[in-house]
Amino acid sequence: MKYVILIHANPDPWGHPTSRYTAEGRALPAVYHDEADRQFDALLEELSASGEFVTAEALADPASSTLYGWSPEGQLATDGPYAEAKEQLAGFFLIDCASRERAEEIAAQFAQPGGVVELRPVMWPGGDDQ
Amino acid sequence: MLAALLRHTGDFEAAEDAVQEALLAAARQWPADGTPDNPKAWLIRVASRRLLDQRRADQARTDRELRVTLRTPPEELLVPAADLPDLGDRDDSLALLLLCCHPALTRPSQVALTLRAVAGLSTVQIARAFLVPEATMAQRIARAKARLAHAGARFTLPSAEQLPGRVAAVAHVLYLIFTEGHTTSAGRSLTDLSLTGEAIHLTRQLHRQLSAVGEVTGLLALMLLTDARRSARTRPDGSLVPLAEQDRSQWDRAQIAEGVRLVEAALPAGPVGPYQLQAAIAAVHAEAPSAAGTDWAQIETLYRMLDAIAPGPAVTLNHAVAVAMVDGPAAGLAMLQPLLEDRRLRHHHRLHAVHAHLLEMAGKDAEARAAYATAARLATSIPEQRYLNAKASRRSPR
Repeated sequence: MKYVILIHANPDPWGHPTSRYTAEGRALPAVYHDEADRQFDALLEELSASGEFVTAEALADPASSTLYGWSPEGQLATDGPYAEAKEQLAGFFLIDCASRERAEEIAAQFAQPGGVVELRPVMWPGGDDQ
Repeated sequence: MLAALLRHTGDFEAAEDAVQEALLAAARQWPADGTPDNPKAWLIRVASRRLLDQRRADQARTDRELRVTLRTPPEELLVPAADLPDLGDRDDSLALLLLCCHPALTRPSQVALTLRAVAGLSTVQIARAFLVPEATMAQRIARAKARLAHAGARFTLPSAEQLPGRVAAVAHVLYLIFTEGHTTSAGRSLTDLSLTGEAIHLTRQLHRQLSAVGEVTGLLALMLLTDARRSARTRPDGSLVPLAEQDRSQWDRAQIAEGVRLVEAALPAGPVGPYQLQAAIAAVHAEAPSAAGTDWAQIETLYRMLDAIAPGPAVTLNHAVAVAMVDGPAAGLAMLQPLLEDRRLRHHHRLHAVHAHLLEMAGKDAEARAAYATAARLATSIPEQRYLNAKASRRSPR
């Protein structure tokens, strides 16, 4: 079963890892971030070794996006950001796990200062006939 | 061929490279010199020579690298030892399967390595079958090989005490390959690869060598009986047809006959395991003239047995459906109540789909529609969600 782990954060200035650029993150000592980085590297190593890691991307500043609306007259392009939300989508991880419980166990480790981590199942084209 | 070479080296990378080189040599030499009398023996001989050359070169370069490859001491090439059970007409593929399903590896790695090394699929094919990027699959396979080397895994048969556990792991890997193929075939019309076909082929191979192991027989029967429904389970538009609504004239009768024969032979022979019971249930469905004409009492008994040896929410759900068919929907609904109250199952779409189905049977249409809507919201399969949404929006069900 595939799941995406969505990192919603509001780094200012925009930067990765986002936890170093959020107000909450900046308030913490460097030693916290170093330890968090070490743990995160170990987690990625574990997911890679277990075959559960599929792919991941860090996203650019939402101000750099282009938005396309649709109307019967045609498309309309405007400059981003998409929403004036407090938190923006900053990046995602795609994982492939044996169970929802395992996905939750992994996603919980992505929690970070300043931001929200969202776990969402990925839809798939198959199904059972029972 | 890969298996034959692995007996001499245990090193996947080197063996694969040597096979490639031997095939290239054959492509060059056979058209000119004629095909040898025994092409397979010729290829193995050439590949072994390449492997030896390669090894000498490696040795000269660095001894350290060689220490991490999987080398099998010559004495271990003589198999099996006297204390191993008689495995009959064993060939290398069993040892290769056991190696690929080594306990040092995680299930996804075992699955990937088995398809690569035993079934001989390309990394691209495996990646496509599991809907992951090729680079991800390549890395998964490379990591698995490295892990085997690191764990000192050997290309030999495990001891008699270890063998049952190792065979169970192989069976589970083959079951996962089959399930992946079976459940995704609806959305899989663009790929030429049949994971169900590969799983059945590998399980047949395993069954030939371990025909006395009831669960291996049960697994093969389960696969054949499930796969027999293949052409009836999807419509041309890719949507799913539930078992109860399938056109049974489209079921593969020859495959059903073989599955039934296997499960009938396995059941009385020894301890009954989950694969045999699931196969027996599939056999009852396969032999029923219609959904209504199914021997639900027998299915209910089989699910009760399955619940005793391998309990879980999926078994309880299927058991509840069978109970509803035998004793009426109220009895089935009563079995679901504890599951509906279990917070751990709050994301379980099938619980709500079964709940909806039983409410519908009980004539509680409004409640059934609400339960179908809940199931649709939780479903992660696109065809199932479409089906459940249609049931939820129906004015008067059926």
